[in-house]
Amino acid sequence: MKVPVRWLKELVPTELSAREIAERLTLAGLEVEAITEIGSTWDNIYVGVVERIEPHPNADRLVLATVDAGTHRLTVVTGAPNIAPGQKVALALPGATLYDGHSVEPKLITLKPSTIRGVRSEGMVCSEKELGLSDEHEGIMVLHADAPVGVPLREYLGDQVLELEITPNLVHAFSVVGVARELGALIGQRVRYPERAPLPVGGPEGLVTIEAPDLCYRFVGVVIEDVKVGPSPWWMQQRLQAAGMRPINNVVDITNYVMLEWGQPQHAFDRDRLREGRIVVRRARPGEKIETLDGVLRELDPDTLVIADAERPVGIAGVMGGLESEITEQTRTVLLETANFEMRSIRRTARAQRLRTEASARFERGLDPNLAWEGATRAIALFQQLIPGCRVTAVVDIYPNPRLPRQLCMPRSEIPRLLGVDFPDELVLEVLDRLEFQPELRQEDGRAVIIVQVPTYRSDVTIAADLVEEVARVIGYHELPEALPLGRTVPVEISPELRLVRAVQDTLVAAGLTEVITYPMVDEAALRALLPGAATFPDRYGLYPRPERELVRAVNPIRPEWAIMRPSLLPSLLRSAAENLKFNRAVAIFETGKVYLPRGLDELPDERRTLGCLLAGARHLRDLYHEERPVDYFDLKGVLETLLPRIGAPDLRFRPLTHPSLHPGRAAEVLVKGQPVGILGEVHPEVVEAFEIDPDLRVVFAEIDLQRLLEVGLEPPRLRPVSRYQPIDQDFAVVVDEATPATEVADAIMAGAGALAVSVRLFDIYRGPAIPAGKKSLAFRVTFSAPDRPLSDEELARLRERIEGHLRRRVKGELRR
Amino acid sequence: MSGEVERIRQQALAELQQASSTAALAEWHGRYLGRRGELTQLMRRISQVPPEERPAYGQAVNALKEELAARFEQREAEVKRSELSQRLAAEAVDVTLPGRAADVGGLHPVTQMIREVTTIFNHLGFQTVEGPEVEYGYYAFDALNIPQDHPARDVWDTIFIVSDQKEIVLRPHTSPMQIRTMERRQPPVRVVVPGRCYRFEAVDATHEWHFHQIEGLAVDEHITMADLKGTLAEFARQLFGQERKVRFRCDYFPFVEPGVDFAIDCMFCRGEGCRVCKGTGWIEILGAGMVHPQVLRNVGYDPERYTGWAFGMGVERLVMLKYGVPDIRLFYQGDLRFLAQFNRALA
Ligand SMILES: [Zn+2]
Repeated sequence: MKVPVRWLKELVPTELSAREIAERLTLAGLEVEAITEIGSTWDNIYVGVVERIEPHPNADRLVLATVDAGTHRLTVVTGAPNIAPGQKVALALPGATLYDGHSVEPKLITLKPSTIRGVRSEGMVCSEKELGLSDEHEGIMVLHADAPVGVPLREYLGDQVLELEITPNLVHAFSVVGVARELGALIGQRVRYPERAPLPVGGPEGLVTIEAPDLCYRFVGVVIEDVKVGPSPWWMQQRLQAAGMRPINNVVDITNYVMLEWGQPQHAFDRDRLREGRIVVRRARPGEKIETLDGVLRELDPDTLVIADAERPVGIAGVMGGLESEITEQTRTVLLETANFEMRSIRRTARAQRLRTEASARFERGLDPNLAWEGATRAIALFQQLIPGCRVTAVVDIYPNPRLPRQLCMPRSEIPRLLGVDFPDELVLEVLDRLEFQPELRQEDGRAVIIVQVPTYRSDVTIAADLVEEVARVIGYHELPEALPLGRTVPVEISPELRLVRAVQDTLVAAGLTEVITYPMVDEAALRALLPGAATFPDRYGLYPRPERELVRAVNPIRPEWAIMRPSLLPSLLRSAAENLKFNRAVAIFETGKVYLPRGLDELPDERRTLGCLLAGARHLRDLYHEERPVDYFDLKGVLETLLPRIGAPDLRFRPLTHPSLHPGRAAEVLVKGQPVGILGEVHPEVVEAFEIDPDLRVVFAEIDLQRLLEVGLEPPRLRPVSRYQPIDQDFAVVVDEATPATEVADAIMAGAGALAVSVRLFDIYRGPAIPAGKKSLAFRVTFSAPDRPLSDEELARLRERIEGHLRRRVKGELRR
Repeated sequence: MSGEVERIRQQALAELQQASSTAALAEWHGRYLGRRGELTQLMRRISQVPPEERPAYGQAVNALKEELAARFEQREAEVKRSELSQRLAAEAVDVTLPGRAADVGGLHPVTQMIREVTTIFNHLGFQTVEGPEVEYGYYAFDALNIPQDHPARDVWDTIFIVSDQKEIVLRPHTSPMQIRTMERRQPPVRVVVPGRCYRFEAVDATHEWHFHQIEGLAVDEHITMADLKGTLAEFARQLFGQERKVRFRCDYFPFVEPGVDFAIDCMFCRGEGCRVCKGTGWIEILGAGMVHPQVLRNVGYDPERYTGWAFGMGVERLVMLKYGVPDIRLFYQGDLRFLAQFNRALA
């Protein structure tokens, strides 16, 4: 909301600057977001009077105007169609800064004397657009006849405008009077309310009928006859413009002026265009339409509250009037509506019609019905002032349930209880009095209470806590001390899930991966791209099986590609990789985000904390020491083999996996304690390509269900004694069938060695003439150690024999000698 | 014979001085001190010495042996040291050549900030908890004193989730966890809640539809707004520097009363007024207030007995302020060239 400072200071006279006023209001909860200056650029511009007009010798459309501005008297060349002798105008002298009247974007230019068609023009008579007041550039701006000639325009017209953010609770401050009340309370000064006219109620039966009393709480209808429609006076136009509204004509301007001043929207109908000259407030009938003032033909649903005449809607209540009954130059009789409507209904209608107006913004915050009377009486005062000779001939006020001030009782102790500090009684009472709450300090049931009568315009003050806020904000929050909470403390434990996530993140960072955070939403195209070469959806999304039910979907996504809550991290990380591969040769990223698996339609989805890791492109960039090589399956497997034992996942296994999104020969299921917890594999080249990554680049992906890991059970380190005897390494070259997995061979060795084998490490794989075709030789280095003794040669020989036996039985392996 | 001893001594010492490699030394050692070396020979020749001179002769040979052994040891050390320094000289490198990199990744700046903020509050006695991102309208709005069709609801432009009877939304703030936490436990409550939030909002340099918040909540007997002010001031000083000034001003959120906007003095202009603080000298970093009595009632707490306060802050904004990130969109574009700049062990 825009509040011109001159207007505000008229209601609350103060020496404070605009900046100081803004500061006080902001601290008290009325945030001033900006202060704009009207006329800050108006150097060298004066109020002038047009003395005479002469034709331009060389151009029909131009004239020579001689303008007197006191100390300056100039002849200017102008093409303004509306210029006339005797007019007061804004005269710009050379050096003045003006907005370019012909530029669409605001553009400042400096005025220089110029020669136009052979005649020298020494200055310029300005349009509103050139002064930065509006986009109007059809003609020059004509000032009010009272404008003092020779005075700098800035002094006459300049102003500062506060732009306030009106939070939903601040309906009482949604007007100049409202802001004035606030400012008055803050600086301890009473408001000088604008003049209002007495209105004797009386009029014909049936002038106004309310058929929907649940949606219309009050209707003040005033008939004004002998109205002469014309432009409103300059001062009013100026204020409307400063507050961001366009002047239309005196009648409409009065209603807008009252709305800005008091916060009470009004609507003026041309009564002669109302069928039977009467008003009915009712819900719209099926199929009814109305063309509103903005020229849009609108269909009205039956929830819409309308202002109708005897036959048809003539306005959408609280939102916008109808075009057909608008005020025109021919209007003689006005029916002025000053009403109060149910806030939720107005809000629904404004939303449904996509029509937010100054009126609806106020009504939907819940206006005080008593304000209607103030609005109507103020409007009539203005009618009488602006249109001499007009007559009020009927006044109806339908207000079946008048709202009375709310009495509130607040224990005196509530202030220190909530604020942690107390203020003297006198100060508290003074503050509440400045707010016009009529406070009274009493003893009731042996305790001190403050009784207040909350003015009806303060609908936001309903409980004791609200009163505490009033006291605190008027005194100022800066008066509160800084303390720390006392009393009982709570043990601060960090949940296993958070600890796990943190450990996973830290380990992966140490392993060279960078954490990304991606939008957790995807689209169907991305999901379909996870299944190469088929029209249907994949049966698995990353780690998770495709749910029976529809995925979790947004009703109103920001963009279509963010419509589905992701069921896997794979598409998110592939997208991130695709972007990064444009700029990097090596990508190593992870995310500890969530996937969202549907449950029942009205149930919240299963949000599973999941780890996704992705390596793509090169593993090492070529440098002095490394050749560059493409990443592959084993790079990421190594990361998992580092990660999972570190976070306490025992008994880690990998088993071949067939997965629609992964390489058929390079994919594995990850098992912990025999339970599947994740997947790992090179991404299928067709999937890679579908995500706009060069399919020749290898992309390796792993997805681990962290919640599942917790369910399976992570284990603390199990200590084994550290031997003080030298460990002994022995090598075993085992010839097995090509198809035998290496893990099984290693398992057989471990089984044979029992507790004495500290580690088994595969260090070579040999295929070639020295061994039979269809076989491979796996070379393991086994480290033996006993906690309590050195191992003797005999013991080692026995171990070797047992290992040999296990190899033979379990994997049909033979030791090479 | 003693002349012979002296001759050998002279010769041995001269040769020792000549021996300048480990191999030459070994050879010298064999020649003089070895089993068949010169000194053994000398000792054998004792039989040719007149008996009365024998003790003196023996002593002289033994003395020579000891002397040579000592000299050898000394020389050996010299030679070894000289050989080592030759080797080391030959091994000299250009110390400015690049090292072999230890590949270390990094945490996302938002994760780092969440850790930093929650750690500060953990130390102030707040427990970190998390809640669902897909949330019932009841928890996101109604229980927080934001009824259906209330204009306050417009402040949160919400993304809705397909459902049947119940309203389900992507939480527009972390505040639903206030309700969930209080429903689950009795006072005293002190929690801090980080998490993702979503709004139906056009994306620009300062707005994201997907962002992170950290919520805080303290409820007990005797919890006051002065505590809130002190706690937030302490937090802001730990995060943004001990010299920070703080500002508390009145603001409106439906689930608190009185409501607070919390700001720190602008670190870019030190309060003078600049583009970042829009000329005000203050930077708003969070909203807060005393928990509304209706919210306490909604979870079955007695508002006459308990008071509490809550606050909520945008994580991205904190990172942007602390590190001068110009555009919020950088966080979720996932560009490693941006993210890598936050690869620090200490923030
Ligand atoms: Zn600043």
